[in-house]
Amino acid sequence: MSYRQARWEEPPIWDVAHAHAPEPAPAIPGVPERFRRRAELNWPELSEPTVVRHYTRLSQMNFGIDSGVYPLGSCTMKYNPKVSEVLARRPGAAQVHPYQPEATVQGSLELTWRLERLLARITGFHEVSLQPAAGAHGEYTSLLMVRAHYRDLGELAKRTEVLLPDTAHGTNPASAMMAGFVTKEIPSKEGCVDLAALKAALSDRTACFMLTNPNTAGFFESEILEIAEAVHAAGAMLYYDGANLNAILGVTNPGRMGFDIAHLNLHKTFATPHGGGGPGAGVIGAGEVLAPYLPVPRVAKQGRKFRLDYQRPKSIGKVKTAYGNFGLDVRAYAFVLAHGEEGLRHVARRAVLNSNYLGARLGKRLPRPFHTLVKHEFVLSGVPLKEKGVRTLDLAKRLLDEGVHAPTVYFPTLIEEALMIELPETESKRDLDEFAAAVERALDDTPEHLHAAPTSCAVGRIDEVRAAREPILSWKDLRARAAKVETP
Amino acid sequence: MVRWISDEVGEEAALLQALGISSVDELFRDVPKKARLGRMGVGPGHDEPEVVAGVDKLLDRNRPLGRFANFLGGRIACRYSPAAVDAIVSRSEFYTAYTPYQPEASQGMLRTLFEFQSLWVELTGLDVANASLYDGASAAGEALLLCARVHEGKRFLVPASLPWEEKSVLANYASGPGLVVEEVPYDDRTGRLDLGFVRSAVGKGDVFGVLADVPNGFGALDEHVFDLKSTIGDVPLVVVADPLSLSVLEPPGAYGADVVVGEGQGFGIPPSFGGPLLGLFACRREHLRQAPGRIVGASVDVFGRPAYALTLQTREQHIRRSKATSNICTNESLMALAFVVYASVVGPKGLAALQVSLAEKARTLASSLGSVDGLRAPRFEAPYLGEFTLELQRGTATGFLDRLRRRRVLGGHSLADPRPGARPTPERILVAPSDAVGDKEIARYAAAAKAWAASEGR
Repeated sequence: MSYRQARWEEPPIWDVAHAHAPEPAPAIPGVPERFRRRAELNWPELSEPTVVRHYTRLSQMNFGIDSGVYPLGSCTMKYNPKVSEVLARRPGAAQVHPYQPEATVQGSLELTWRLERLLARITGFHEVSLQPAAGAHGEYTSLLMVRAHYRDLGELAKRTEVLLPDTAHGTNPASAMMAGFVTKEIPSKEGCVDLAALKAALSDRTACFMLTNPNTAGFFESEILEIAEAVHAAGAMLYYDGANLNAILGVTNPGRMGFDIAHLNLHKTFATPHGGGGPGAGVIGAGEVLAPYLPVPRVAKQGRKFRLDYQRPKSIGKVKTAYGNFGLDVRAYAFVLAHGEEGLRHVARRAVLNSNYLGARLGKRLPRPFHTLVKHEFVLSGVPLKEKGVRTLDLAKRLLDEGVHAPTVYFPTLIEEALMIELPETESKRDLDEFAAAVERALDDTPEHLHAAPTSCAVGRIDEVRAAREPILSWKDLRARAAKVETP
Repeated sequence: MVRWISDEVGEEAALLQALGISSVDELFRDVPKKARLGRMGVGPGHDEPEVVAGVDKLLDRNRPLGRFANFLGGRIACRYSPAAVDAIVSRSEFYTAYTPYQPEASQGMLRTLFEFQSLWVELTGLDVANASLYDGASAAGEALLLCARVHEGKRFLVPASLPWEEKSVLANYASGPGLVVEEVPYDDRTGRLDLGFVRSAVGKGDVFGVLADVPNGFGALDEHVFDLKSTIGDVPLVVVADPLSLSVLEPPGAYGADVVVGEGQGFGIPPSFGGPLLGLFACRREHLRQAPGRIVGASVDVFGRPAYALTLQTREQHIRRSKATSNICTNESLMALAFVVYASVVGPKGLAALQVSLAEKARTLASSLGSVDGLRAPRFEAPYLGEFTLELQRGTATGFLDRLRRRRVLGGHSLADPRPGARPTPERILVAPSDAVGDKEIARYAAAAKAWAASEGR
């Protein structure tokens, strides 16, 4: 496809118009002079049309799902329904303060209550909390709950380890570390958990085994029931990273597979937009043992009324101000309402069909380690590219010139020069074929072109090493550098 | 069939045929039978008009802020946001993008985040900012962890006046590494920190960080913050700052803050029943490599043109795993966009004028409530900005707020910790006039308070 991203020579906002004459901060009645800002606030005074034009131009140098396919593996970049945007902006959703009296927020409370129950049914858990703000936040919250549980059992001093496979998302070990655990990686066997290695690593020191299923290589962990049995036999908890839930909606669920606790990403499976990096929503589901530790408040129903319930003596308390990311809960609720039972099952079936189709086609060009039956995503290895002196990174950059986003690259680390590809249920066969053709054209291109890519984006390839070596992180840094250049 | 799932004519059959299978079921043959589901029980699907009707039916049970004279605040503000902000935030090139892992295709968001970082640096007077965290409370939690990485000790001091929710979040962030959050008492007359307590606690040598919020949880401006850094020496100082207040108040970098965090929701982000919010985070350059989360840096492309990319990623979870500075991956980029667009549309003069006007409204209301029998307003003598604490000398905060609510006044929120076992505290309410409040609404609040006084406890 012929593609050119907009390339505005748009200056940073502080250079858009002439700087304003600095003005000292005004005095505030009743506030002592000592508090008053002495340094003027360095930010331009601009007209509204100027600001709108500036950020509109910047938006034109950004690629979103609405621009084209976005095959980032493990990110489940599906179409974000427009109706959800409309609903989340209703005054009844957006113009509501969390500390309003309960009688005035019955709608928010009921939507929360209903969504929690729908997600509990989808995941097979006893209770669901919408409080955590993103997936990693949900992991962390869950591990704090696991920690509180073992503290109550008097086993916390002993159970200090969290085990995870080497295919785990980076957030898993980082969350475990923040929750005060030490982590131990279990090497995979043929891209899946090595049950024997796991059994050997499990002990009375194990607090939790963290797993995503299907895993990050796209494979379903078929021995999941045996894994759950082994983890529970060691007295430990089994944690489900719900990043890849899209592949199994209505087919199986974490509760059924024997998991004790999980986080889900509403911004993946439930189609809430990812906002160029966030917001997300990392709701958590818990089985009966861990549910009492969920963050407060919980939403309770009394007769026909809903209220906030803080009477949860075992709760870990709070992980965020107020409640969850309600604006995203509204969108996720609309998504579940639209799909219903059959629709959700169809989501998983179509996502898995897409992935296997595309995997089969691209597997003719690049190796697919271990297995060919995959779920929501598949991983290719870019190792053969080395023969012509190019790397996976070059292929990814070259794909940007085709008017598509690049896949996730160099993850999972288990697979050398990995390209991790996920095109969910919202993508048509035509989208899949066009993407495959784009990859094939890129593979057939010359090393010179691959190294020179991208040439169709707002900028050419970026010197990321330089950005890290001499960090310039703000306008203040740019000013300081300009001053240094002027007075050597 | 849901329109959002691709359904072009015959495509599913063609996909199956290409795979040489007759049913999608074959692609799930690796799921053990014992793990398979029957029905989930989520009910039937709905077409788009039904979805709209279903969601609206629930949302209509809310009574949005516009129906009240609104005095709710705390960390979450209710302010008018120029329509231009939502117009930009609604551009799908921004809101349907993922984290900018491919910087060449994502310059729009990267440049926006660079501008956002720059703005928070200018407001706080610190050296470097990150590209956002979840909310103000979790940003304070990350600040606590940064302090623990750069200074020895087991105890982290916070004002007893800090909102209970933030104390709870901080206690959770402290619990992993086995650290302790300790409360510094306040002066009952002024609402200020007990500096002597801080001095002696730090003197014992086990304090790795001290946090102060400006304004504090009572809405008070505490002059002791100017002396805090000299009191604690090389122990890191974390300041929780309200971004609007920084348009008129001395930046915390000027009085020795090592980390400044805050809640950015008030800049162009609707309250939305508490989320999404926006965690703001800035620190001194010497702590840069200990900072959590995404950071955008300026660089150049192969042609030497200015270009931006995520940088210093060796601090982050996807590279360092269990040795990362934080687990955060998804942050609040789109809210950071709203923040910087709001500040740019309103401009520095507009921000300062808004803060002054809110402060005037708060003073007018406090002085009329101060003369109502049974109320103390403002409860504390320290100066205040846009919000103040009201204390009831009889009755309950819930009863008072409920009575106001029936007169279409949202009178503020109770400062009490509602959890079982929480220490009982006086009946206090944080009152924050919103920008939509005028003389009429202030008079309505005062009249409702007088009616309460006339009937309550007599």
